[in-house]
Order: sequence, then structure tokens, then C-alpha cells
Amino acid sequence: MRLDVHTSLRTFFIVAGGLYVLLVLACAILPAASMERQYPITQEWVDPRVERGEQLYQSYGCIYCHTMQIRGDERLAKEGPDGTLVVPVLGADRRFGLDEPSRAEEYRNDDPPFLGTERIGPDLLAVGIRLPSAAWHYWHLYDPRAVSPDSNMPGLPWLFHTEDTQQPEDEKVAPLFDLDVPKGRLYATPDAQALVEYLLSRTRPESRR
Amino acid sequence: MKTKVGISVFIAAAGTDPRFARLVHRYLLSAVFWLLAGSAVGLVVAFRLVDPTLFGQSEFFFHGLMRPVHTLTVLFGWASLALVGLGLYVVPKASMVTLSHGEIRAANVALWLWNAGLVIGAAALFMGFSTGREYREIPWWAMSFIAAGDLLLFTVFWRVISRRTVKGIYISCWFILAASFWIAVILVVGYMPFFRKGLANTVIEGYYIHNAVGMWFTPLAVGLTYYTLPKLLNKPIYSYALGVLGFFTHMVFYTIIGTHHFLFTPLPDWIETVGVVFSVAMIVPVWASTGNFLLTMKGERTAISLSYSLPFIFVGVIAYGLVSLQGSIESLREVQEQWHFTHYTVGHAHAALYLFVSFLIWGSMYGLVPRITGREPEPAMVGAHFWLAFGGMLIYSVALFIGGDLQGEAWVERLPFMESVRRVIPYMVWRSVGGMFLLAAHVIFAINLFKMRPGAFTMAYESQGRK
Repeated sequence: MRLDVHTSLRTFFIVAGGLYVLLVLACAILPAASMERQYPITQEWVDPRVERGEQLYQSYGCIYCHTMQIRGDERLAKEGPDGTLVVPVLGADRRFGLDEPSRAEEYRNDDPPFLGTERIGPDLLAVGIRLPSAAWHYWHLYDPRAVSPDSNMPGLPWLFHTEDTQQPEDEKVAPLFDLDVPKGRLYATPDAQALVEYLLSRTRPESRR
Repeated sequence: MKTKVGISVFIAAAGTDPRFARLVHRYLLSAVFWLLAGSAVGLVVAFRLVDPTLFGQSEFFFHGLMRPVHTLTVLFGWASLALVGLGLYVVPKASMVTLSHGEIRAANVALWLWNAGLVIGAAALFMGFSTGREYREIPWWAMSFIAAGDLLLFTVFWRVISRRTVKGIYISCWFILAASFWIAVILVVGYMPFFRKGLANTVIEGYYIHNAVGMWFTPLAVGLTYYTLPKLLNKPIYSYALGVLGFFTHMVFYTIIGTHHFLFTPLPDWIETVGVVFSVAMIVPVWASTGNFLLTMKGERTAISLSYSLPFIFVGVIAYGLVSLQGSIESLREVQEQWHFTHYTVGHAHAALYLFVSFLIWGSMYGLVPRITGREPEPAMVGAHFWLAFGGMLIYSVALFIGGDLQGEAWVERLPFMESVRRVIPYMVWRSVGGMFLLAAHVIFAINLFKMRPGAFTMAYESQGRK
């Protein structure tokens, strides 16, 4: 049989469309299915506030500037004392204070996982370990430059109230004495609380209890 | 000295169905609307990367909300509609048939579906309905409009090609028909309700991100050029066989390289390595087409220097070769430690979509549209568009290449993270300067497109009783 893609539209389409669909199956659908089989989704109880925070992280597009992945250098993988393969953290990613790269099971229930593709701001994979203070996060979200002077992150002041606009469900934000933050009282709305709750929940699996 | 094409354009346009001329021009008008909107949003984003307090700390200007609006409008608004609009010109011409009234109507409906999807999608993004997945942020109910528009266009292309009056299917039709099918598959895979969680989502993400670029914009832009370049130079393409080689290697290699966005992650090593190996192999299809175009242009210096459309194609072709080569290099693990996650990648993406795709669009547009509308733009205004766009993107991308490299260097040298933020500020300023050039270029382009609106010849057509 002659495969005439030049004069038969049908033959051309079967080749160009069919081959493409096969490649998509081989290099997208099947690997995705195997990842899901290897690291199945588990049913875990999640604090509804954390869930709301995750949703806000998603809709405010935090992933455009923050990654949530510590890269591992597979080229330097060595066998550890217990016989498993140990992958060291890639040099440029060592600053974030973690000695182990991201693991697949850390993301298994994330919908979607926020691996990200740009690092205009720092990595947030385990921000709950690196920055465990809720007050710091509140002031930082309210006005990033108040706690991090050269920051180029935009603030989210609409998630906060002041003394005059305070609502009953708001939470009073503790002052940060060691940092030069604006004076006056700040009240975190439920959304701000949820976002900070979510950031603080970002820890490594070992310390997630 | 650039000159008008003159009377031959008017003669070429005289036999054109005015509905067809209006259809193509309408697609381009929509495209330029989204280009102006998208580049204005992009410029605000660029300014605010210099100073995040500019324009106040309101939700409306928040980076994470504006960025997906920028990418949506320039990718699915500007580039897609302009490429498809010119595709509606090229496919019937290369098939030696005219669009029937039913097909013109279907293409019009597709345009409105597409525009509706963009309006609804952009509104949804501002209201916080983002799916959190890059380049497929708009909800499925907004993207469905765009997908429906695409399917309608696919049927139009299919019908036109199947009743062609020439024996062979010209390679431009290959690229355009195939792309309109591939993007349907891409959207289905990107939005299907499976593999939405965990690293399964990341595998799909890698596929989606890179295929939306490489199996939609690239084949459309290359396909258009296979028609426009020989047409404007009035000679055949250098090697048809090289084009065929380019088509099939492009399809096989480009489909499977998306995972180069996720190297050093816990994804299986084999799929990361496949991504890197075939990213390098992309040199074959890229230079098959680039070389083919350059060899077609060989010895045509006078034609290029006199024409106001060919310089755009010349820049677009060179940029295609060089930016793609840069992409192959960027996929290597050795450079990703420093360059991945930095502004370098952003510079690459802009250089590709602008100097390559958009310049080829403009080349085809200025070269082809007057042939059906009978009206030409002012060559001096086209020149202003060319130099502002070219200079602006050169400033923009070089600033991001240098800034991104310095940013990554700060990470590799393990300086405090804030050092990488401070270092790029001057380059963010240059990026905004480049962005202002681009917005100015787009305003001039909009004026030029208005000048090319369908002309008075329509009356002559209709008085002949050809309905």
C-alpha cells in the first residue's frame, strides 16, 4: 500500500492526526496514569481553613512568582546506608534550608500541585518550617516591604481591616517588635487567616502530623 | 526606500468576494484588539515588577491576577486569531478554490465563539476563577467556546482542502489543518477531568504547556510562511522535500519534549531525558524550515529592501532559527540549574512569540491582506511599526537574558535570595522601556490595519451580479 499523504487528505489526516494521538498517549497520558498508580491519591482530613487558603493561593496566582519544589540532582545520586538511592539537593536550591529534594508523595493530594515555573520570589515548599511565625506572614501579606525592605511582591491589603473597619470574625494581628512594621492595629479577615494557615501548613511530610 | 505594491494589488483584489475580504479583515481586527489589550496589561505588569506599589495596592492590578490575563489575551487572542485569520486566506488560495458562503458564515461564527471565550475567560480570571494551571487558567466553560470555534474552523479547512482544484495538498494546508486538529487534542487533554492531582497533573502540564506553543503557534506561523514567502518573491520554495521533512520531524519531536519544564523534579528520569534529547533534536525541523526559507530568500536582497512586508518575514525566519536553538540549549540540565525559574525563560518565551511568530504574522499580513482588500498601508508607517517592534523586543529580550543570567548566578553562588531580587531591578526597568516601544508599535499597527480595510472594489464585484 502506498501512503500518499500528498494527494489524499484522508491518508494525510490519518498519519498526522493518528501518529500525534499515539504520541500523546505514550508521552502524556500513560506516564500520568503511571504516576497516579505509583502515588495514589489518599483520603486525608484537611482543615477547611487550609483548604480555603490553598484555593486563595491558586486564584491569586502565587505560582507565577513562587515555586514549591526543591530540585534534586539525579546525576549525583548515591546509594545511602540503607540501600535506597539518595538524591542530593541541586546547588542553587540549597539556600532554602532543606536537605532533601521534593518527593512525589508530597504532592499526591494537591489539586493542582504548585510546582511553579518561575522564582521571582523564594521557594515556598516548606515555608511553614522556614518562617513559622503567623504574625510575620500577616504583616508581610499586608505590606511586604514593611518586613522585607527590597521586596518586589505586591501587598494584599484588601485582606485586612483596621480598627475602624474591623469585623467580628477578624483576628487581631500581633505586632512584630523586632521589625520596623507600621504602627497601629491590624485585623486579619478570614481569608487572610486561611492564607496564612495554608502557608504555615507547608512543611515536609515527616513533620506533617 | 520602501514602495507601495501599487496597481497590481488593486487588480488582484478586484476579483475578490467582498465577504471573504471582510472575513479575513475582521479576524485581524479582533486580533489587534486583543494585542492592544494584552500588551497594555503586560506593560502594567512590567511596570509593577519594577515597583509593586505603582498604581496603588489594589486587587485589580495584582500581579497574579493580571499575568494570566496578559498571557490569555496575547496567546489565544492576538496570535491565535491573527494566524487563523490568515489561515482562512492561505488555505483556499493554496487549494485554488474560493470560500463558499456557508464556509464564510461558519468562520464568522467561529470568530464570535472565540471572542466570547476570551471575554468570559478574562472576566473569570479577574473574578478569581483561575484553575491554577499555567496557560490553561480559564475555566473549562470559557475554554469550551474557544474549542468549539476551533472545531468549526477545522471543518472549514477540511472542506476547503477536500474540494481543492489542484492535485496535491500544499504544505501550508498540511500545517494549518494539522494544527487546528492538534490544538483540539491539546485542549481536551489539558481540560479532561482526569490526572488533575499530584504529579500526574505535572506530566499533563508539561505536555500542555509545550504543545500549546509548538503544535499550534509554530505550525501555523511556519505554514503561512510556506505560502507567503514564495508568493511575495514570485518563485517556488527552495526545497519542498525539506519542508516535508520539517513537518514530520516537528510533529514527532515537538510533541514529547514538554517535560523539559520539569527537570530535577520527582518525575521519572526517562521522561525528563526524552524531553531533553528531543529538545536538542528540534534543531532538525527548525533548521529544515529556517534553511528552506533562507535559501528561498537567497539573492533577493533588492526585493526585500523594496518591500514593506518581506523584512518582517526575514526577521521572523532568522528569529525562528535562533530562538529555537536557544530553546534547545535551555533544555540541557547543565544550564537549567542557573537559568530555569529566572527571567531568562521569560525573555526566551517573548522572543519566540514576538520576533518569530508575530513577525511572521505581520509579514504575511502586510503582504497578503492588500491583495484582497485593494488597500495598502503607508510604507513609512509600516517602517515605523517594524523598527519600534524590532527595537522594542531586542531591548526587552536582551534585558531579560542578562538580568535572568545574573539572577540565576546569585542563586548558584548562594548569595542571599534578596540579592537576586535587587540585581534584576535595572533590567526590569529596561524591560518596561522595551514594552513601551512595543505598545507604540502596536498602535501604529492598528492604524495600518485600518488603512488596509476592504476597499471600494466590492461595489464593482457586486454590480457584476456575482453573489
